[in-house]
Amino acid sequence: MSLAGADSATQPTERVAVASVEDLRVHFRSKAGTVHAVDGVSFDIADGETLGLVGETGCGKSVTARSFLRLVPMPPGIQAGGSIMFRPHRSCSACRGEGCEVCRHSGRVPEACQACSGTGCEKCEQTGQHTVDLLTLSEKQLQDIRGNRIAMIFQDPGKALNPALPIRDQVAEVFYQHRTHDLLADAGLDDAGPLLIRRATLKTRRFEDAILALPPLRARRNKLMAAVDTRIADALAETQIPNPRKVMDRYPHELSGGMRQRVMIAQALACDPDLLIADEPTTALDVTVQARILELVRELQQRHKTSVLYISHDLSLVREVCDRIAVMYAGRIVEVAATESIFDDPRHPYTQGLLAAIPAATHERGALVAIAGNVPELIDPPPACRFAGRCDYEASACRENDPTLAQVAPAHDVACFIHHPAPGEERNPSFDRPLR
Amino acid sequence: MTGAVGLGTSALVQDDDILLAVRDLKKHFPVKEGALQQVVGQVKAVDGVSFDLRRGETVGLVGESGCGKTTLGRCVSGLTDPTFGGVYFSLPTDKRRQLDELLALPAGLRTESDQANLARLEESHRVDVMKGDAWRRYRRNCQVVFQESFASLNPRQLIKDIVGRPLRVHKEASGSDLTEKVVELLEQVGLGRQHLYRYPHQFSGGQRQRISIARALALDPELVVLDEPTSALDVSVQAQILNLLHELQTERGLTYLFITHDLSVVRHMADRIVVMYVGKVAEKGPTDVIFNRPEHPYTDALLASSPEFDRSTVSMQALEGSIPDPARPPQGCRFHTRCPVATPACGWEVDDVVLWLEDVEGTFEDLHSVSRNDAFDAWLTFDDQGGAQRLAAALRTDAIPAAMQAALEEVTVDEARVRIRFAEVDEVQLTARGPNHQAACVLDRSGSRPQN
Amino acid sequence: MVDVPTKVAHIPVRESAFRVKARRAGLLALSLLKNPTTVAGLTLIVLLLGVAVFAPLLAEPNTPDAYQMPRDWGAIAAPPGTPDHPLGTTNVGGDVLYGIIWGARTSLRLSVIVVSITVVVGVTVGSIAGFRGGRIDEVLMRIVDVFLSIPELIFALAIAAVLGPSFRNIILALAVVFWVKYARIMRAQIVHVKENEYVDAARVVGDSGWRIYFKDILPNSITPVVVQATLDMGNIVLVGATLSFIGLSEAGIAEWGVLVSEGQAGISAGRWWASTFPGLMVFLWALAFNLFGDGLRDVLDPKTETSR
Repeated sequence: MSLAGADSATQPTERVAVASVEDLRVHFRSKAGTVHAVDGVSFDIADGETLGLVGETGCGKSVTARSFLRLVPMPPGIQAGGSIMFRPHRSCSACRGEGCEVCRHSGRVPEACQACSGTGCEKCEQTGQHTVDLLTLSEKQLQDIRGNRIAMIFQDPGKALNPALPIRDQVAEVFYQHRTHDLLADAGLDDAGPLLIRRATLKTRRFEDAILALPPLRARRNKLMAAVDTRIADALAETQIPNPRKVMDRYPHELSGGMRQRVMIAQALACDPDLLIADEPTTALDVTVQARILELVRELQQRHKTSVLYISHDLSLVREVCDRIAVMYAGRIVEVAATESIFDDPRHPYTQGLLAAIPAATHERGALVAIAGNVPELIDPPPACRFAGRCDYEASACRENDPTLAQVAPAHDVACFIHHPAPGEERNPSFDRPLR
Repeated sequence: MTGAVGLGTSALVQDDDILLAVRDLKKHFPVKEGALQQVVGQVKAVDGVSFDLRRGETVGLVGESGCGKTTLGRCVSGLTDPTFGGVYFSLPTDKRRQLDELLALPAGLRTESDQANLARLEESHRVDVMKGDAWRRYRRNCQVVFQESFASLNPRQLIKDIVGRPLRVHKEASGSDLTEKVVELLEQVGLGRQHLYRYPHQFSGGQRQRISIARALALDPELVVLDEPTSALDVSVQAQILNLLHELQTERGLTYLFITHDLSVVRHMADRIVVMYVGKVAEKGPTDVIFNRPEHPYTDALLASSPEFDRSTVSMQALEGSIPDPARPPQGCRFHTRCPVATPACGWEVDDVVLWLEDVEGTFEDLHSVSRNDAFDAWLTFDDQGGAQRLAAALRTDAIPAAMQAALEEVTVDEARVRIRFAEVDEVQLTARGPNHQAACVLDRSGSRPQN
Repeated sequence: MVDVPTKVAHIPVRESAFRVKARRAGLLALSLLKNPTTVAGLTLIVLLLGVAVFAPLLAEPNTPDAYQMPRDWGAIAAPPGTPDHPLGTTNVGGDVLYGIIWGARTSLRLSVIVVSITVVVGVTVGSIAGFRGGRIDEVLMRIVDVFLSIPELIFALAIAAVLGPSFRNIILALAVVFWVKYARIMRAQIVHVKENEYVDAARVVGDSGWRIYFKDILPNSITPVVVQATLDMGNIVLVGATLSFIGLSEAGIAEWGVLVSEGQAGISAGRWWASTFPGLMVFLWALAFNLFGDGLRDVLDPKTETSR
């Protein structure tokens, strides 16, 4: 796959991952000890792909997702290591974001590395693209990325939306924050006074509003408001909200769960982000509404070519939307592969167990394949396979060594000694039993 | 293929041995408003539901949030008194026939002896009326496992006290005898003596649900109401609990009312399924029939929406719109507002026009008031003539669903007012579609579908 | 947000309910003692209670009524350090040390009686309102609202003034004022706690309303009342002293507020001791129970409790 074009100073021959998580460790201090909630997680999110991060309660998937925007409260959380390299994009100048050959119809092109202007250096890890570590970025720089280059939608839109503000104000915030100049241009206010800009950028605008309401300035303010309204209506319409201009004036509690989730999605996609993090976006919804939202996410992802990190506990759901799936267990990734490979050829005993536990038509009643035992405590865990103790194929090696992710098939990585024995270990004969 | 599943229990179930009968059950909650708490309406959480639970079978109660399945479960378990109708427990066959005959008579046509017979039946069998021994017997024989295992266990009690409490209340055991009985119960659910003296928060979600099950089994009940017992659990733990529930059912001949929104779970566990939508039964029938030959479009939609069963009989898209307000449910078919195969006979009404207007930019803002004669007939007043004419014009075009258009009997414009009248339609009743299979839909698809 | 599996303590098989409950209480006490300000409060409380309990040993009781200040007419307004009067005397010859020691006993009496009455009344009223709900709830809570709308001190002052100056009337006045707080707290707790599914579970089992109240509802809603009662042990003495200071108590009894009032006239003449020492005692008493109450609140907070 090549990224052709003279638009960018960089002309990398390969698609560079939009984000790379490297050995991420997030711990929590508790009375009983340090909880290793996320303990050495690494994965890439390719440009334009939808990656599913799947696992059960407490496996660390949500913490991983929240680490992207540094939303994990510290303390009690501790950033115990690792990095999240993010490569922000900008609007394609060849087509003004309309989509052309240059930007592969995504309307966005990678920003060139500022240090080497695209030739490849230490700072950009030889990719030639502007690269930032989300974990070490200053709060101010992160603010520019949050909601702009990386957006997030949450499980419970009822809680993620401010109940005291109408929908208009909540979505407008995104535009005021990140699209100030576009807004002023929309409103035809090229020579916008400093007050208007302040109004657009500040969170509390009471003072500015009072002054702008004065007759000589009122016309300009109204133009700005009209421009914002148009943008909001467009954003809401894109998530197929009927009659967006009316919905804008509603409060979150006046909307149904599905509608609220659409508003969240509209808000998240308003700035055309490079990466959308969806943290169990349909778990709180009914199945019929969930199906509609899933369809919408899929559709919008294809239209905008946004990369998506989709967090869920539900494998069958992730199958519907994701290109690739990473399975997490007890703070680790145990298997990463393309969606079909995970379902057709699961290699890790945990993945196999998860798939087998879903009640299917073929299961006789009372004969579901359950994974025995419970998820281990993650308090100062020993260097052993986290799945040892629940695994059918457990051997002594599993209790003494810690398996790491390694490739077992093209684009299929598994962290299990069945597939790659620990150094200096013989392959345990019990591993030769066929996997179910 | 799916039909083979679950025969393990249903083979033991006698068709006529009915443990619990629900008859025309209604539960309405008053909607109060203002400082004086005036009742301004009724939320019809459950609005006329009837079904039977046969001894030893599992009936799945399925539906989306707000369909009334939890309220129905609370009525069955005696936690909430119904507004109308009743739950009848442990009626012998002859008495049940008598009851059905009596209930079939309109109240005005019952003779005095009928009244007396009914009262006598209800005194000893109707859950919200029974007292004394009958009530105690029912209490022993109907237990509940709740969804939130954390909230359903008293955080300040030890497991021994929690599981032993039913035994103590009904004076079944005390002292060391009680301890031994609790250990026995814990062992049956996969826990043991070492867990006796612990607090609920020291257990994982799956273990807490096991404790709930042990408590429910303490009095050796006949009926267990399972209210979303695995919804809060992870899939691997869910499998453990489902296996356990099945094992206990075969061992003790339990009858389950399994309330859930999860279709894959209900297909696995239930012999028969009741699908609810906005307080009413949309369809009920044997599990394999519901999953393979659903008659109601809502059942279809549910199946199509679940990622596990993407094999609906009609090719359809995910459902549009949202569930109607249960305080003002549609008069005809409750599903017609979202139904992809709705017909003119489904009960289109004025509210549908108002809702449709809300979704269209511009015109709704001009709508001033709606004065209804009834649900099907009303005058819509607009701020100006333009609004009225725009609506009248739109009602004659493809802008509205074809079925709605066909159901329109009158559109009259009078200056800024529009009169809209739809064909009046009765409530859609459940009709037989096959053995033990009923659906509440005006369409009959069994004829048009190729038999398999 | 983060679901951290809780540490399941290893508990040996041979175990009894008593041991487990004792251990839980022990753990609670231990976590109380981890906070230095709580320990400071507790130490102060122990000292003050010690003074109150051992008053007859520390200062020879006056006859016939030990709660009446002895008068030494030979040493009027003696400064601290005077023989027989280490903390001096008031301008009517009352020994300040005696007043402080027996005043502690008076304060203990006052706070224990008032807190007992108010907790019992408040919890009962709050429980009936919260548990029964409906019209009873409406009526009771409107009454509570009326009481709460009048500032504590002014209300107590008004009642005590109407009843006439006596220590007993101060107790009565404080009881009338303070019970509403408990009623309010208890009702709010019960309304919240009775929504829990374990209450439904108890009903399904067939338990009676009374037992559900005492086993499921009361234990899970009493914590804030306990904390408030601890804080009020201090507050009541403060308000009581204020009322005494104004003169709503009998003159001449061994009570800190009365002492402060007696000594107040001499302050301008440089006789600071008669007011300062009892005033300090009131301050220490209120401080001690507030420090301890705050610590108790932190430990009893159910959120922190489950993670222990």
